[in-house]
Amino acid sequence: MKPAPFAFAQPDDLAGLLLALGEHGEDARILAGGQSLVPLMNLRMVQPAMLISLNRVDALDFVDVEDDRIVIGARVRQAQAEEDEAVRRHCPLLADALSFVGGQSNRNRGTVCGSLAHGDPLGEPPAAALALDAEMRIVGPHGRRTVPASQFFLGALETVIAADEMLEAVAVERTRGDERSCFLEVGNRAHGFAVAGLALRLRFDAAGTVTLARVAMIGAGDTARRIAGAETALTGRALDEAAIAEAVAHARTEVDPPSDVHADAGHRRHVLGVLLDRGLRRLAEGDDA
Amino acid sequence: MIEKLDITLIVNGRERHARVEPRRLLADVLRHELGLKGTHIGCEHGVCGACTVLLDGRSARSCLHFAVAVDGAEITTVEGLGGGDELTPIQQAFHRNHALQCGYCTPGMLVTVQEFLAREPDPDDAAIRRALSNNICRCTGYANIVAAVREAARALREAGT
Amino acid sequence: MNEFVGRALLRREDAHLLRGEARFIDDVPEPDGTLHLGFVLSPHAHARILEVDTAAAAALPGIQAVLTGADIAAHVQPIVAEVEIEGYRRHGRDVVARDLVRFVGEAVAVVVAEDPYVAQDAIELVEVSYEPLAASIDMEATTAADAPRVHEAVPGNLVFEGRFATEGFDEAFAAAPHVLKERFKSGRVGGVPLEPRGCLAVPEPGGALTFYTSTQIPHMLRTAVAKYIGCPESRLRVVVPEVGGGFGTKAQIYPEEFVTAALARHFRRPVKWIQDRREELITDIHSRDHIYEVEVAFDGEGLVQALRSRVRTNAGAYSTLPFGCTLETTGGARMIVGPYRITNYAYVAQAVVTHTGPVGAYRGVAQPSCYMAIEGMMDRIARHLDIDPAEVRLRNMVPTAELPWTNVVGVRYDTGSYQESLRAAMEAIDYEGFRAGQPADRLVDGKYRGIGICSFTEVSGTGAPGWRARGLVRLPGFDTGLVRVEPSGEVTAFVSHAHAGQGHYTTFAQVVADALGVDFADVTIIEGDTAAVPYGTGTFASRSAVTGGGALIRAATKVRDKMRRIAAHILEAAVEDVVFEAGRAHVAGVEGHGVDMRRIAETAYAMNELTLPEGEDFGLEETDFYDPPLVTMANASHIARVAVDAEDGRVEIEAYAVVHDCGRLINPMIVDGQIHGGVAQGIGEALMEEFVYDDEGQIQNATLLDYLLPTAEDIPDITLGHIESPTIDAVGGFKGVGEGGVIGAVPAVLNAVGDALSGLGIEIATKPLRPSLLAGEIRKVRDGSAS
Repeated sequence: MKPAPFAFAQPDDLAGLLLALGEHGEDARILAGGQSLVPLMNLRMVQPAMLISLNRVDALDFVDVEDDRIVIGARVRQAQAEEDEAVRRHCPLLADALSFVGGQSNRNRGTVCGSLAHGDPLGEPPAAALALDAEMRIVGPHGRRTVPASQFFLGALETVIAADEMLEAVAVERTRGDERSCFLEVGNRAHGFAVAGLALRLRFDAAGTVTLARVAMIGAGDTARRIAGAETALTGRALDEAAIAEAVAHARTEVDPPSDVHADAGHRRHVLGVLLDRGLRRLAEGDDA
Repeated sequence: MIEKLDITLIVNGRERHARVEPRRLLADVLRHELGLKGTHIGCEHGVCGACTVLLDGRSARSCLHFAVAVDGAEITTVEGLGGGDELTPIQQAFHRNHALQCGYCTPGMLVTVQEFLAREPDPDDAAIRRALSNNICRCTGYANIVAAVREAARALREAGT
Repeated sequence: MNEFVGRALLRREDAHLLRGEARFIDDVPEPDGTLHLGFVLSPHAHARILEVDTAAAAALPGIQAVLTGADIAAHVQPIVAEVEIEGYRRHGRDVVARDLVRFVGEAVAVVVAEDPYVAQDAIELVEVSYEPLAASIDMEATTAADAPRVHEAVPGNLVFEGRFATEGFDEAFAAAPHVLKERFKSGRVGGVPLEPRGCLAVPEPGGALTFYTSTQIPHMLRTAVAKYIGCPESRLRVVVPEVGGGFGTKAQIYPEEFVTAALARHFRRPVKWIQDRREELITDIHSRDHIYEVEVAFDGEGLVQALRSRVRTNAGAYSTLPFGCTLETTGGARMIVGPYRITNYAYVAQAVVTHTGPVGAYRGVAQPSCYMAIEGMMDRIARHLDIDPAEVRLRNMVPTAELPWTNVVGVRYDTGSYQESLRAAMEAIDYEGFRAGQPADRLVDGKYRGIGICSFTEVSGTGAPGWRARGLVRLPGFDTGLVRVEPSGEVTAFVSHAHAGQGHYTTFAQVVADALGVDFADVTIIEGDTAAVPYGTGTFASRSAVTGGGALIRAATKVRDKMRRIAAHILEAAVEDVVFEAGRAHVAGVEGHGVDMRRIAETAYAMNELTLPEGEDFGLEETDFYDPPLVTMANASHIARVAVDAEDGRVEIEAYAVVHDCGRLINPMIVDGQIHGGVAQGIGEALMEEFVYDDEGQIQNATLLDYLLPTAEDIPDITLGHIESPTIDAVGGFKGVGEGGVIGAVPAVLNAVGDALSGLGIEIATKPLRPSLLAGEIRKVRDGSAS
């Protein structure tokens, strides 16, 4: 189990990264933390001709607080974001979701953006990005473009990022007003290797009516996905038993879970409903992340 | 033929040089180029934790890093944890609590615990188990490792380090 | 004298392991010019090899050679497991396939490279043309008339069948008022040691070969390698470095070991092979792929009147060395009676071949699965008669007062504590208290909560007669101790075992120190080098304490007798008046009239002015080849308390107690560690571990992302107690302990879940209990009752 040969570049700035990407695009991969990519390379399931490391580009190492968003640069490690004061204050759901990623030693190296760009259907950050209405800030030889998270994930390990582009940053919505959120997942062990997971975000008005609902799930299809029916069912009403039941029903019907050695589709469908039920009750009690 | 690259690593406080192919894993470079065989390879896909080292002060899987990509970094391996002839308080606690059997996972465990107790000096058992849950041990059933970490935490707190 | 045995001395092994100074197989210094092997593995479960095109791989810079099965056959004879038992069908295996491949992962070619990375590159360039053939994957379907044949020599894919019935069995069975029947399916698992396998063969001057390998059985391995590669056994030295976990997985002799040794001789260069995790998961022996169909006949008190079992084990594609493929089959059929007084018993035991990976001896061998069956039946009897499951067991157990007792298949239980250990475990976990508070529906705070027991006997320390009884006529059974007092008075003891974490350097030193009457600190243990240690069987099947401990005690006793004779001569006293204390011999009652070890040793080595007694030989060392009795029988009771989440199906183990009896304890700390580790493996096996093959024989989980091993968060704290019933059949009083943890944990966890879900009428008869399985069963019941 040793990786195939590849050439290596580690430019010092974004321009250099983009130049290398433009030159080698199709055959190259960006190396950020490597926690998803390197296992695949060691198994020779992925054999890029070239790796372009972004680890020397200091300009990608930032957490910015904008008016209504937190922006996380491509070199920000998961642990770094998880521990970041601004992230914890303004976007607790992201910190919560990140705490479920791998183990400490994976999070110390893996990046938030790398995990999103990798598009693992069972990764936690994509679900958090969906629930947080993230803007995916992509940069390439022709400039920058922003794609909403809802349009970013195309399939398992597949996103809208073109071969000569990279994810420069992700901008997630800041918490506003009475907003509650949580991240839940279950696996076949006590921790790690999710079978199914849920990123849940609700905003309430003063009367307790849900004004915004985001229900994003993993293990529900070949990408993380939002459950539109559940979100609609929750919006514009109080979070009562009827609303919960209706939303849960959507979580079980509006999904297309995979079957694998860990769980069959039927189980995933069932526990996705269980997770949403648990999450909603938790938020109803005000016991959020 | 892909060119080898010159790299410099600060390993256990010493500057070390190597000339390696880009694809060489940090674990292999530490073990076979630099002769530091205390770092073990158990899965090469980032699950077992046997190869864990400190990379710029934080734990990292050395099987999931290409040495060229961490050129210039500071690395601490199990060989660099101790202070000479004495075992460190964490190592002593592992010894006293029979927290190792075959010892293959032990270097990765020690490195993981080193980082953990530096960040969380007074953890409860649940936190200890969570911190250990990214490192597989197939021999001990973990109970004695948990006990060792508990004891090491106390020893480190009492020593005020 | 009992100064060191029984004490929880800290391990001598630890310091170098903790400092990262230990040398495992991949750490053994590579001589200059070492070649690295890579194996090309079959992607098909069953296929004919049409052509192996090595040209592109051979042309890669850094490649020394690329060898096909035919090339390797010139250096390694086909291996044949030497099982000699009625009903067994012998078949051979090319260590690298020549004609047919029979499982996904079987080697079809070998690349020889200057570097392990380049070896992996070359593997990708070897082009093998296959004609895929239909495969037999399922262990039930494999014996169907039209099932694809695995070996010509094995008609019907039935590689072994054994039958047994006590006299008058049918009558006894028919006479019982109650009969229950169940079919238990045990999932396929593996030892998965954290260190994969590997070996390094180094040619020495004069045609000798030093062979470093990660094994538990250095001597048996040496004999087999010498035989199959045609190397004089006297010129082959097997050296075992530190071994990063074995669990039986490394008590096998594998194809790669023959190839590595043979190619080092062929190329006259050091040759090394280090296995990767994927290879470990695919090609190392698997275990426990079993089906037990059990019928138990019992009376109204829950007393078993007769037991019938049909045991079927999946042998995979090939019988393996050195145990063949009948160990699990005969083990499961013979050990299932456990601590119970079952006198009417009949079995049909079958091993079948399939196009899946070979199986072998993983910790516990058949015992976790046969106790899954019998202990599952004990719970079913209890539920059927509405008697507490603990009470059913207590009624059926052989009471201590009736020991020694010979069980229905002829195994003697000399000493033990079956009822006592169960009662003690019940107390430790507050069994009665839990039962008292347990509602009929088992639903407490939103979870189904149950408690489960496994009481078992554990076969350990098997000697030659024990292996003969199971058809392994070429498996030695004895182990050897050589105890030497050096001229300095220090002691070096050699033992024919090979540790993989069990702490032999500590425990055997405790045994030798007491047997000689010297300080523990003065005893050094050497093992794992066939050039230094006399022949023996090795470390597996919970045997080292019994066989190695016994051999060392007997050898040490001979040395001590000689020292006494010398001391008596020096002290001008009668031999029987000389006593040893703290490394010194003196005349009994006259402590001042003595002589120290060093002076006795110097005398033995003719290094002082004194003389030896008339007729005494020089030197101070003795060897003993100790063959224990049939087996020594340890026992234990495990009790698990679990909570099953009704919604997500996850099982949490809320409490766990073990009371174990392995006879005399050498080092309680190490014994506890063995049990902890075994319980963790058993919990993994019960809840999450399983190798899954699809219909085409592709293994679905050949990474540690998909083959789940339990973590620190999955294993509970364990309350542990000991009862010591020393064996009277073997020297030292020791019984083995290596496997007990896993044997007890699997059934205890399954039975606890079964108890938790008993209110729903769900019977547990399979493992692992993944959340998807349990949640699905619970849902079925709830949906059924709702409609």
